Amino acid sequence: MNFFGKAFLDAFNLIFRFDAELYFVVWTSIKISMTSVFLASILCIPLAVVFSARKFPGKSFLQSLLNTLMAMPTVVVGLFLFGILSRQGPLGGWGLLYTQTAMVMGQFILIFPIILNLAIAAANTADPRIKTTSIALGASKTQQVLLFMKEVRFAMMAAIVAGFGRAIGEVGVAMMLGGNIEGYTRTMTTAIALETSKGEFEFALALGMLLLLVAFLVNSILERFQKLHK
Amino acid sequence: MNLYSLHNLGYQYEGRKILDIEHFTFDEGQTLALVGPNGAGKSTLLNLLAFLTRPSRGEIVFMGQTATDRNRAQLRRRVGYVQQNPYLFNSTVLENVELGLKLRHVNRELRRERAMNVVEQLGLEHLAPRRAHELSGGEVQKVALARALVLEPEVLIMDEPFTYLDKRFVQELEQIIVTIRENRAQSILFSSHDQMRARVLADRVCSIINGKLIMESSINLLYGLFRKEDKIFDTGRIRIHTPDDIEECKLIAIEPDQIVLSRQKLDSSMRNSFQGKVKALHMQGKHIEVTVDVGELFHSTITRAAHDELGLTLEDTIWLSFKSSAIKTL
Repeated sequence: MNFFGKAFLDAFNLIFRFDAELYFVVWTSIKISMTSVFLASILCIPLAVVFSARKFPGKSFLQSLLNTLMAMPTVVVGLFLFGILSRQGPLGGWGLLYTQTAMVMGQFILIFPIILNLAIAAANTADPRIKTTSIALGASKTQQVLLFMKEVRFAMMAAIVAGFGRAIGEVGVAMMLGGNIEGYTRTMTTAIALETSKGEFEFALALGMLLLLVAFLVNSILERFQKLHK
Repeated sequence: MNLYSLHNLGYQYEGRKILDIEHFTFDEGQTLALVGPNGAGKSTLLNLLAFLTRPSRGEIVFMGQTATDRNRAQLRRRVGYVQQNPYLFNSTVLENVELGLKLRHVNRELRRERAMNVVEQLGLEHLAPRRAHELSGGEVQKVALARALVLEPEVLIMDEPFTYLDKRFVQELEQIIVTIRENRAQSILFSSHDQMRARVLADRVCSIINGKLIMESSINLLYGLFRKEDKIFDTGRIRIHTPDDIEECKLIAIEPDQIVLSRQKLDSSMRNSFQGKVKALHMQGKHIEVTVDVGELFHSTITRAAHDELGLTLEDTIWLSFKSSAIKTL
C-alpha cells in the first residue's frame, strides 16, 4: 500500500478509536474559536445594524478600512499581540502570553472585521420595509433594532459561520500567542503543523480530516436551519 | 370632533417641494380617499398622518393634540398603517398579526385571543399557522390589514391598498372597508389612483396633485337591495334603474356631476327621474353643490350659470335625473 493510503487508514483508526489526545486537541480548537466568535458576534451584529442605518462622516473610509482588515494576515495579528503581551510589552504584566485567553484575543481581532463586514453587507441588503414596518407598528428604537436583527438572522448567521471558519482554520495567531503547549493551547492547526514536521503524518491527517468535518458540520447546521425557517 | 386638522403643512425632500397644504380637517368616523397620480404626494401625506415622518413645516393636530417630536412616537401608536406592498416578518401569519401587541407588551394569552378574533373576522383562520413568506399578494395585504386592525387604532391608514391585488381580493378588501365604515369603528384614510373606487368607498374624496389638495367632492352612495329580474336597485325609499349588465350589487354610487336638475320632468333617455326638495346649496369655486331630498339625499354639482338659470332657492321643488349608465356598483 502506498504512503498516502496507509496514512489515511491510520488516520481513520485514530478517529474511530476516539483517541483521547486527538479529541482533546479538537475540543481546545472548538472552545477557543467558539469563544472568540461569540464575543465578536455580540459586538459586531448590533454595531453592523447601527452602521448600516446611520449616515455619518467617514463612513465610506471606515468601510474600506474594514474591507482591508478582512484580509489581515494571521501572523501579523499574532505578531502585533505578541508585542503587546510579551514580558517587555505594555500588557506584559498580565501574563497572558501562551494562554488560551491570548488566543481568544488574537482570533477576536482577526475575525472582528470579517463578521462586522459581512453583517453590514447583510444589513445593507435587508428589505427597507423592515424598518418602516416596525416603526409603523409602534416599535421603540431598541425594539426596531431587535426586530431587524431577528429578520436578518440567517444572513447574520452566515457572517458568524464565516468568522468561525476563519478562526478554527487559522494557525498564525494560535501558534504565536498560544505557543502550541500540549494539553493546553494545542489546537488542530498548530498540532497539524507540529506533527507534520515531526513526521507523524497520520496524526496530522486525522486532525486535518476532523478540521474539515467540523467546518462541514457547522455549515450544514446553518443550511439546515435556513431551510427550516424559510 | 376633528380627527386630523392640518395647518400650513409642508414637506420638502432634497430641496423639492413634495407637499403643500394650507388647511385641512378630517372628522372622526369618516372615510377619506386620497386620489391622484403617482408621485403626487399621496404616500408622503399618509406617512405624515401616520406620524412616520416629520413635516418640514406646519402642524398636524390629531384628536386635539398637536404632534411634536416628543409625542410623535406615542401618537404613532394610535394609528394603524398598512403600507403599499406591505412587508410581513419572517414568521407565521398569527405571529405577524400579534406583533404590534407584543411590542406594546400585551401578555401572551390576551394577544393571541385578540389576534385570533381579527384573523377570524377577516376570514384568515386557514392562514394563521402558515409562514408569512408563503402567502400570495392578496393574502399579504389582508394579513397586513389584520396586523393593523388588531391594535384597535383610532384611524386606519392604507396606502394604495388595491394596487397589487387581483380582482377577487379587491372585492374582499372593498367589502372589509365597507364593513368598517358601516360600523364606524375606525376612521379610514386610503389612497388610490382609481377615482371611481375612491368615490364608491369613501365619504369624502380629495384629489392631490403636485402636493396640493385641490378638490373635494361629495359622493352619492346608496345602500339597498338589487332585484336581478328587473335590474332595479331598491333603497327602501326610492327605486333606481341600473345598467343592464349588472348581476349583483349592495352599494351604488352616482357622481354628483352626472346628475341633472330641472324644473320640469325631463323627457329624455334618462331612466331615473325623481322629484324632491332642495335642502342645501354650497358654493364650490365655479360650481355649486345642490343637495336634494328625493327620499334619499342626493348631491349634484352644477355650474353657476345653470344655477342662475334654474333660480334655485331652499325648499324649491325640483326634478333630479340621471342615466342608469352613471351608476357605479359595488
